[in-house]
Amino acid sequence: MSLGTWLDERLGLERFRAKYLGKPFPLHPSFFLGEIALFCFIVLVGTGLYLALFYEPSIETVTSGGVTGPAAYVSALLIDGHPLGILIRRIHHWAAHLMIASVALHLLRIYFTAAYRKPREPNWVLGLVLLVGSIGTSFAGYLLPYDQFSVTATAIGYGILRSAPWIGGTLADFFFAGQFPSPSTVPRFYSYHVVFAPVLLSALIGAHLLLVFKQKHTELPHSVLPPAGADERAISGVPLWPGQTVLMAVLFLLLLAALSLLSALLPVHPSALYGPPQPVTPEVKPDWYLMWVYGALKMIPGTLSFRLPGATIGSEAIGAMILPGLIGLVVLLVPWLDRAPASARYAEHPLRSPARLGFGLAGLMLLGVFSLAGFSAELHLSVPVLWVLALVAPAVVGWGSYTYASRRSAADPSHPRRNG
Amino acid sequence: MDRRKFADLSLKTGIAAAVVSAIPGIITLKGRTRATATQVVAEGDRLVFAVGANANQPITAGSFAQNEAVLAYPEGKSDNHENLVVVCKLNPAMLKPPTHMDGAADGIVAYSAICTHLGCTVRFSEEPMDMAPFPHIHCPCHSALFDPHRGGTVMGGPAPRPLPQLPIRRNDKGEIIVAGPFTDAVGVRV
Repeated sequence: MSLGTWLDERLGLERFRAKYLGKPFPLHPSFFLGEIALFCFIVLVGTGLYLALFYEPSIETVTSGGVTGPAAYVSALLIDGHPLGILIRRIHHWAAHLMIASVALHLLRIYFTAAYRKPREPNWVLGLVLLVGSIGTSFAGYLLPYDQFSVTATAIGYGILRSAPWIGGTLADFFFAGQFPSPSTVPRFYSYHVVFAPVLLSALIGAHLLLVFKQKHTELPHSVLPPAGADERAISGVPLWPGQTVLMAVLFLLLLAALSLLSALLPVHPSALYGPPQPVTPEVKPDWYLMWVYGALKMIPGTLSFRLPGATIGSEAIGAMILPGLIGLVVLLVPWLDRAPASARYAEHPLRSPARLGFGLAGLMLLGVFSLAGFSAELHLSVPVLWVLALVAPAVVGWGSYTYASRRSAADPSHPRRNG
Repeated sequence: MDRRKFADLSLKTGIAAAVVSAIPGIITLKGRTRATATQVVAEGDRLVFAVGANANQPITAGSFAQNEAVLAYPEGKSDNHENLVVVCKLNPAMLKPPTHMDGAADGIVAYSAICTHLGCTVRFSEEPMDMAPFPHIHCPCHSALFDPHRGGTVMGGPAPRPLPQLPIRRNDKGEIIVAGPFTDAVGVRV
């Protein structure tokens, strides 16, 4: 009796194969973004397991390898001093960047093709939670090498949470395990980064995939209609086995190759260069995905504040919580703000809806200007100039793309299938 | 009461009990109180260098020239980050209110080095710039600007309130001694 038959008799593999292995997967490259994010997550868990063998979540002063300093910092240096260790740490770091980038691009693909519409609103919300969760996990990971950069970034995060009205102090001390810099913060962030976050992200990723599985992917607007009389729920694509499986394997290997190449050639977060924590704050900028919050914080003047009974909402809370919170809320509500008649089956061409295109590009432009404000000193841009840019540039881009898309759709009468 | 209703009520009671009993557990989750939190700056503390080759050595009026500044801690109290101060030596003629004049000595003034915006360590800079054509204090994080000649008032950028001043005096050895508590709460406003 072959192993296959043995397993089949016990696990019913044949039924599983008949039911799921033919499931169609979309072929358009933009549909690979979610898969790349998933693969990055897998790489992050794998490399993280390795790093956890050598990392020491403590700020107790130790001496090892000729370096005296906080145990976390010294253990990060020991990992960097090992040829395989530094490669794994860099792959971990690069995979985190790539994961956030591919989740963000995945979100843009869903937005510009209106794939968030009924019945896919729950997955839009889940996806956004995954984006915020990935950024939060990265932020918790920032602190772990406990170098000068790490401590500065985490101190700013502590300050931001502390600026929340009424409960800011309690919240900040709760999440940072005491007043930062506290000896309890590193062990707490270690547990966030290696236990809470991966467990939560895994569960959310599972739910996200289950929903895609259940609701099926959107089809490209020019896909062939199913023949008359065919199952209406049938969709086109390559089968999970063998076509999609081979594609995924190739994609995963390409990703590993790209990450190895990046890690071999481009150092990320060189802890030894930043040095152990000191009272002096270095000139640091956040990673690219938080640059817009950093820029917005520079643009909000200190004089802007609101008095509430028993609390004041100041520039720091406005720049780092209220503004990003409002932007996040608008993104979250996109499926409910878009009132156009929708197809559950087809993705839309980005030029089909001028309003959506205009708002999307204007929003991206706004984030771009905020990010530019992160480099205000280098570019000699004053705060008033940046505010003018923040109001004018998105309006111009939004209006321009709206007009362009309107003209295009007027010249090209809508295809009957596109609006389902 | 039928079986279904009883089962339903039991479930809800169970959930409510679980939630209520979790509250004390969550409250006790807060971080350990640090021993260092008791390191409060007090009158009579001697200021020492916080960084550099002279770390933990007393600062004297001769330690730095006019329009220079040093980072300092009250001696033996460096574990409490909120005690970090920037001691600036300025032109005495340029010191103006709302600087606490009694807390300055021959142009030497001390301010909390913790930015009131988001808690980074501020820097003293002698180089004139557009918004501050004189020695000033700025924060490397989000470009807050403070005027050390005028009680640490905000000249520009996102800081919501002035840097608290730490009153100082000099003793007969020329060392810099704390003369009173900070004029306001240190760091990010809660």
